[in-house]
Amino acid sequence: MQALPLRHTVAVAVGRAAGLASRRLRLGGGTTIPGAVARRIDARVTRHLAARLAGGCVLVSGTNGKTTTSRLLAAMLRGAGYRVVHNRAGANLMAGVTTALLSQHGDSGLFEVDEAVLPAAIRELKPRLVLCLNLFRDQLDRYGELNTLASRWQQALATLPASATAVLNADDPLVASIGASLACRTVFFGLETVDHRQTDMQHAADSLYCPRCSGQLDFEAVYLGHLGHYCCPICGWRRPDPSFALTGIRLDPAGPTQLRLRAESHELAIEANLPGLYNAYNVLAAAAAALTLGAAGEQVSAAVGGFTAAFGRTETMRLDGRQLRLMLAKNPVGCNEVIRTLLLDPDPLNLYLVLNDRVADGEDVSWIWDVDFELLAGRCRTVILGGTRAEDLAVRLKYAGFPTSELPLEGNQEAAIRALLARTPDGGRAYAVPTYTAMLDLRRTLTDMGAAGQFWED
Amino acid sequence: MNLVLAWLYPDSMSIYGDRGNVIALTRRAEWRGIALEVWRLPKGARLDQLPDLVMFGGGQDREQRLIERDFLELKGETLVRAVEEDVPVLAVCGGFQQLGHGYRDADGSSIQGLGILDASTVAPSDKARRCIGNIVVEAHLPDGDATSGGVLVGFENHGGRTRLGKCEPLGRVLKGFGNNGEDGQEGARYRYCFGTYMHGSLLPKNPWFTDYLLLQALRRKYGPEITLEPLDDALELRAQSAAIARAR
Ligand SMILES: [Zn+2]
Repeated sequence: MQALPLRHTVAVAVGRAAGLASRRLRLGGGTTIPGAVARRIDARVTRHLAARLAGGCVLVSGTNGKTTTSRLLAAMLRGAGYRVVHNRAGANLMAGVTTALLSQHGDSGLFEVDEAVLPAAIRELKPRLVLCLNLFRDQLDRYGELNTLASRWQQALATLPASATAVLNADDPLVASIGASLACRTVFFGLETVDHRQTDMQHAADSLYCPRCSGQLDFEAVYLGHLGHYCCPICGWRRPDPSFALTGIRLDPAGPTQLRLRAESHELAIEANLPGLYNAYNVLAAAAAALTLGAAGEQVSAAVGGFTAAFGRTETMRLDGRQLRLMLAKNPVGCNEVIRTLLLDPDPLNLYLVLNDRVADGEDVSWIWDVDFELLAGRCRTVILGGTRAEDLAVRLKYAGFPTSELPLEGNQEAAIRALLARTPDGGRAYAVPTYTAMLDLRRTLTDMGAAGQFWED
Repeated sequence: MNLVLAWLYPDSMSIYGDRGNVIALTRRAEWRGIALEVWRLPKGARLDQLPDLVMFGGGQDREQRLIERDFLELKGETLVRAVEEDVPVLAVCGGFQQLGHGYRDADGSSIQGLGILDASTVAPSDKARRCIGNIVVEAHLPDGDATSGGVLVGFENHGGRTRLGKCEPLGRVLKGFGNNGEDGQEGARYRYCFGTYMHGSLLPKNPWFTDYLLLQALRRKYGPEITLEPLDDALELRAQSAAIARAR
């Protein structure tokens, strides 16, 4: 092995010491500070640490589902015998990736990376596999426009050698089109079910144009946002046939989701304790990557069966004799999927909706007007509103047809939860639907309130 | 009474919750017993009859380019006539740019606009900051008989810098960037045609302006004596003040 420069050794030592200090002093930030410190001392520290992983690195990126998908993939790879270094706390900028490399031992890396960071991550980590989930409109105030992002992904993926693999979502035209011009191997995944297809596009949908000729794409089926089966009536470009596909999806509001996966030549039954169609996509994406990396079918289904949801995305806990489910909603497509999942509940809904406009949420809250809240009008027993932009949410719901007398705003989270549970029948179910930073606050509040059965651990 | 709203490119030019403007107009008409019919006019659909109101939202560069010809060829002529006949028009962001003379990119490529508004937009280099954030504007409208207010609050997010020729701005920037971050002007107005960079969505949080547009549409159609029944806007005004307080 080639000797590493002294600068590298110093960067690693100081980074690790910073991590130790922040843990001892309980300063928080332990998932990013060590990496940030080490990168400041040696800009190449991440490359050198990654190069030491004999099994190489895997990257997961996309607007929606990267935390859940990368956690599912980590469980599958561990089941297949990999020792995985993983930024599982969702610190998905380069400092978070570097921190995971500094603080964990293993033979392979698995990193969830922010959409804007994917090109840098590819450059520094030289991954053997990149899993591209989807590109939705999310916080344009941070990322610029979707097509720019897609072309940056394309340019970055084009640098991968033939020995690497890009696993791409066939149902997302923007992501699928990237596959056309890559030197590396490409593998597609997608949905091939008759269930849950819609023929109309939701208003929140994006990217309806052919990436080749700019003709308007025809959608024969739409599953979620702009994900579906499409073709271009002008140049004939169409969705690539996926080698990994879900051929059956049964969503059950009370029990696990049943999935049938077609993987190249064989079929696999998977039971997932994760609600909603968006999670079916997450399971499929993780399975496609794991099977490509050599995991066996049984290892994949066993890993999914034993999986508990990543924090905040779909947690369920008990408090005051009621069940409380947390469902993160951070952009219009994600929020519409949460609504679709809520509508599976046959009882009148008890909801606490929290809208924040901090930097990590996106400061622009106009996206709530692209969410189909109209579907919930008349289906709710209780609605309580909170967050830094609760007032905007109240106006949105008023215009969606909710009676204005039933839209209380409650700025204090604990008071809001108490009021929510008080209006939920004993033994019944309530839902909290927060944006990203609101979810972080809610987690603390619920811990302080002694919520039982929470699944988070990091 | 009834009104027809022409919604241009509801699928492709509707990026930052522009649908909220259509929802606000629809609901506030409906709550007063006025039926508002929406004509959805995507790419390929021709606007040949005069509507009573027009809404044109924003899109990404790519979408703006894709509808450039379609807008000029299938919608432009009737739209010019509508504006000259005092039909109220609201165009946001990309729609604003395309009602003006158009948009010239940093790389020299350009999108031709209709030129109803004497407003030209230039994109600075890639590295220049986008104008992003909450924005508060003091509006200046014709007639001056707006039901209340004068203040508009929204969110802006645009790379292009717009400068006005002979037309009036929609208002003066109190907080935020506005057309170019330099001359203190926001948006543009010619007759009852308004261009603006404010989304947010604009109309739900600024109910007086929504009513101003509705009233103009009704008076044009049914006569100058028409008035609008007031509504309870407590929630909307609360959201407006909350948004004003967030602007830096
Ligand atoms: Zn085509």
